[in-house]
Amino acid sequence: MKYLKPRSIGEAVDLLASSQGMVLAGGTDACVYMAEGICSPEALIDISDLDALKGIETVVVEAGEETVRIGACTTLAEIAASELLPNCLRQGAHAVGSPQIRNLGTIGGNVCNASPCGDTLAPLLTLDARLVLRSTDGTRIVASSDFFTGPKQTVMESHEILEAIEFPAAFRGKASAFRMIGNRKGQAISQVNAAVCVTVDSGTIADVRVAVGSVAPIPLRLAKLEEFLPGRAIADVDPNEIREPVIEGIRPIDDVRSTATYRQEVTVSLVFDALRACAVQVAGEGAGP
Amino acid sequence: MRIQFRCNGADVQVEVEPDTRVIDLLREHLGLTGTKEGCGRGECGACTILLDGVPVNACLLLAGKIADREIVTIEGVAGADGSLHPIQEAFLDVGAVQCGFCTPGMILSAKALLDENRTPGVEEVEEALSGNLCRCTGYGKIVDGVLEASRRLTEEPDRGGE
Amino acid sequence: MDRMSVIGKHVRKVDGLELVTGQAKFSGDYRFPGMVYGAVKRAGVPAGRITKIDVEPARKVPGVVDVLTAKDIPGPNLIGVLPPFDQPLLAADEIRYAGESVVLVVAETAAAARRAADAVSLSIEPVEPILTLDQALAPDARKIHENGNVTLSKKLIKGEVKPAFESADVVVERTYETSFQEHGYLEPETVCAIPGRRFTLYASCQSPFHIRGHVAANLSVPASRVQVVQASTGGSFGGKDDVATEIGALACIAAQRLNRPVMIAHERKESIVGSNLRHAARIEIETGAMNDGRIVARRIRVLLDGGAYASESPFVTMKTLIHAVGPYHIDHVEVESTSVYTNKTYCGAFRGFGVPQVTFASESQIDELAEKLGIDPLEIRRINGLKAGDPNATGQVYEQSVGLLETIATIADQPAPPKPAETDRYLYGTGYASLAQGISNGAEGVDVTGASVQMSQDGSVLVGIGLTELGQGSRTVWSQIASEVLGVGMESVSVRLVDTDAVHDSGPTVASRSTTVGGMAVYKAATEVRKSLVSMAALMFQTEEENIELREGFAILKMDDSARIPIPNVATAAYWTGFPLMNLAFSKAPDANFDDETHQGDIYIAYNYGTHRMDVRVDRLTGEVKVLHHVAAHDVGRVINPLGLEGQIEGAALMGFGFAHMEKIRYVDGIIQNANFADYALPSIKDRIPTATLAVEDPNPTGPFGAKGAGEPPVAATAAAFANAVADAVGHRFTRLPITREDILEAIRGRNDG
Repeated sequence: MKYLKPRSIGEAVDLLASSQGMVLAGGTDACVYMAEGICSPEALIDISDLDALKGIETVVVEAGEETVRIGACTTLAEIAASELLPNCLRQGAHAVGSPQIRNLGTIGGNVCNASPCGDTLAPLLTLDARLVLRSTDGTRIVASSDFFTGPKQTVMESHEILEAIEFPAAFRGKASAFRMIGNRKGQAISQVNAAVCVTVDSGTIADVRVAVGSVAPIPLRLAKLEEFLPGRAIADVDPNEIREPVIEGIRPIDDVRSTATYRQEVTVSLVFDALRACAVQVAGEGAGP
Repeated sequence: MRIQFRCNGADVQVEVEPDTRVIDLLREHLGLTGTKEGCGRGECGACTILLDGVPVNACLLLAGKIADREIVTIEGVAGADGSLHPIQEAFLDVGAVQCGFCTPGMILSAKALLDENRTPGVEEVEEALSGNLCRCTGYGKIVDGVLEASRRLTEEPDRGGE
Repeated sequence: MDRMSVIGKHVRKVDGLELVTGQAKFSGDYRFPGMVYGAVKRAGVPAGRITKIDVEPARKVPGVVDVLTAKDIPGPNLIGVLPPFDQPLLAADEIRYAGESVVLVVAETAAAARRAADAVSLSIEPVEPILTLDQALAPDARKIHENGNVTLSKKLIKGEVKPAFESADVVVERTYETSFQEHGYLEPETVCAIPGRRFTLYASCQSPFHIRGHVAANLSVPASRVQVVQASTGGSFGGKDDVATEIGALACIAAQRLNRPVMIAHERKESIVGSNLRHAARIEIETGAMNDGRIVARRIRVLLDGGAYASESPFVTMKTLIHAVGPYHIDHVEVESTSVYTNKTYCGAFRGFGVPQVTFASESQIDELAEKLGIDPLEIRRINGLKAGDPNATGQVYEQSVGLLETIATIADQPAPPKPAETDRYLYGTGYASLAQGISNGAEGVDVTGASVQMSQDGSVLVGIGLTELGQGSRTVWSQIASEVLGVGMESVSVRLVDTDAVHDSGPTVASRSTTVGGMAVYKAATEVRKSLVSMAALMFQTEEENIELREGFAILKMDDSARIPIPNVATAAYWTGFPLMNLAFSKAPDANFDDETHQGDIYIAYNYGTHRMDVRVDRLTGEVKVLHHVAAHDVGRVINPLGLEGQIEGAALMGFGFAHMEKIRYVDGIIQNANFADYALPSIKDRIPTATLAVEDPNPTGPFGAKGAGEPPVAATAAAFANAVADAVGHRFTRLPITREDILEAIRGRNDG
């Protein structure tokens, strides 16, 4: 197996186009796939050291909109620790694996792996995130809502690299939270996860985005709930009243990790807990979540 | 591929296939068998080592990634004169070791925590060790061991270096 | 010896230093010139006949040096626990479970061996697998083994249950189930075999002599040509007996063929799929009691799913037979316990050995009975609990060391916070469980340990014993015993590696016998050496032997504490005078003596008694359970190593909690779906429970310094207490373990719906 370490993004996409190689970021998913025999690429193209793919910054893009830009090879540990990012994304990153996994694993890896239970995915949906894809053909930008097409499937082409993830900086001002539940409390894969990002006006929900993972083939937004909540006092939200709009939007299954019935009920509870956490943030009762 | 890196404070050079897992590089090429393989999938933490000071799973780390970087394994925790690190002493004193297979990984995760935060609370200890499984102890004494090490390091800041 | 120097004191684990520095050598840490690696191809199909094995694709993988199938085994190609042995090292034609080993590939690297093993092409004609107890017991069921699908079925009969039930005021009846549990030791099974005129096998194991016997038989060589050395072992809990034998024999056979050292190290997945699990069980219990709480009769039927091979099933069957009744004085009891073959991973020894399964059932029903009678759950256990002088389920009477009521009293006396009222979010519950667990081999066979104690002229001591340190701290306990008896400091005592060449066959390290039976052998051997020192010191002091005591590293005159001779001086003098300074002693537990039809008689050398209390908080919305409070009171006879005891109880408790709440091996069509640490929920540090240990000391006359083993009982009691606590919180009796969050949420929603 060849090991290639490009010194620029340009070199990386050239190598990807010309070789039968596989992109390697943190390696925490790739190494497991290789160990399981699921893939044995001819070459590994290690992009994890490219400064251009790391870091979190605020930039101004089209129409003067301030955007937060996260390099795809920023580690999950860095995401979890960054005060420049909204709570839901930080908490989602923090929920991935273990400290050891988070020190190597990248947000780009979590996104491109596109597992329905990926913990950064639902948060990114609530932030209207965009994926910046790069290849020898240039750059294209895909909305996160269009990015995932199925379990471990995305719209990415085989010669594309995820360069960065962007979302409007305005989302930083909103209250947000992420909750998950797994088969144990430490180093757990999500049986269900949920992210909430909400704009609150004098205690009333003005606008809300709710996304859930692991209850459908792809992470998705709960449109019905997003219609239902505005106008309600965030501190008064009740699990019983949100139950129907939540359940209507999801299609959980039975699998080795959990049952459809349980996932259904717990989604309600996680969304509720995330909304509660946002209420606490808004009330300023605590740094948060 | 020739790879150069620092291991336990010394410069090391090895000739390995770049897709060699660091756990194999350590155990086979360098004879450092203190780093253990419990699952090979990054799910148990027995292979935890420090990479530039932060804990990672050596079974998921490829050799090509450690060029010019700094690794610390369990063999590098005690002093060069053999004196034990306060974490090692504390673990022995509170009964945090039973079969010992998870112990190297636990100690390294604990060291990374205490190097960054000398006085962690219980929840911070649990968080830092959440990627290290143990089947023997029930974890209670492991938490005690880290807190005891923290106490000792705070009283005698010169011990335990770095 | 009322004033103890090290017994009952806080001492460091004697082998801890090499463990915290990473210097300890586990089986996978050995390196020998020319060493090669073995990996196995497994069936992948739960039942069928092998029609073709094509090893050519494996041979073609670079680095492969050998490929073995069943025909390459020199000996009978059979291992097992009780004869007739029924388990092949490599399956010849019949496949009985999906993890069954069929081909061994040996290569220059472990990765090549594994790649090559995967490349082997196996053609297996499948047959309909038998996957449930009912399928196995159906009258027209296909026979998994020649003698049918029942491994062993036995009865225990005490008194006459029928009239007793008729006389009862109240009868409770229910069926309970428990699931397969995986040992989950952090170190997967590993062996390293060195060939030669004599074979040396380094093994991660619990029963080195058992391995030696089977390795020799399958190599077709005398046992005296095989040496098994137990390497540092990363946990076992009963799981490394059969497997270490299997891969140990295979490694030796391959080593012999190649004349090169061979290492076989399991990957995690095959550790789960290929090696033994805890028996799943179905337990039907009927209990009859009077209105005042006295239990007058119990009728119990236990069915154990033992998977594809017998392994320890006969012994687990017998143990459940005896323990299903619980730690109660009941005059009329009838138990039938049956273990059954299915086409799943075979089940064997796992800490608790059947007791966790039946204790969950028994203690759940005790609570149900208490509720029906309106009696406090601790009180009903007190009313029926065994006391010294009472005949237990097998009619055995102990005049001493029956500390059950003390453990109940200890729990009752614990300050407990008042149970919080339920809220919109949380429900609260408290649960108790009591148990008795027999120590050591009981009815399972001869119970002998041999230990050697040798003192050098410098006064340092070497202890040798055939029982294994697995993390449970036995080496430390044995060191403490030798240290106490000989009056030398712990730092002068070493315990040698278990080497079948150098210690007497002491049977398996199981059944919590290391401290009791093992410790007794060390005590006796040390006592003999002590006699030499005392005799010598008496000569040196020119006094009678009864005036000498050994303490603090000196031989001391009792009537004049300042008259002391350093023990090294005494030892040197003893050597030169011709007193023996080494002794090999035996400790033998009394033979079990019981009626084969009724299982009535004297079986166990002693029992460990325990009572637990657990307080839980249940989340109504997610079914999550937080253990707020857990107290484990155990009658351990005498505490030798307090830190070690706590560690054992805390570890066992979390294992019991996992068994009761988190862990379940999931099968679909005979294939395990969650053979990894991500999907099999071994508790992490964030799942730990706040177990507090309370040791009750009711000295056991047959144990060293009165001690009894305690490694296993907390598993069963924690699981049972958890089930009772959750039932109390939710107001619903759960009859199947694990009680998962899914189960709890469903019950809560059912409760809400009316």
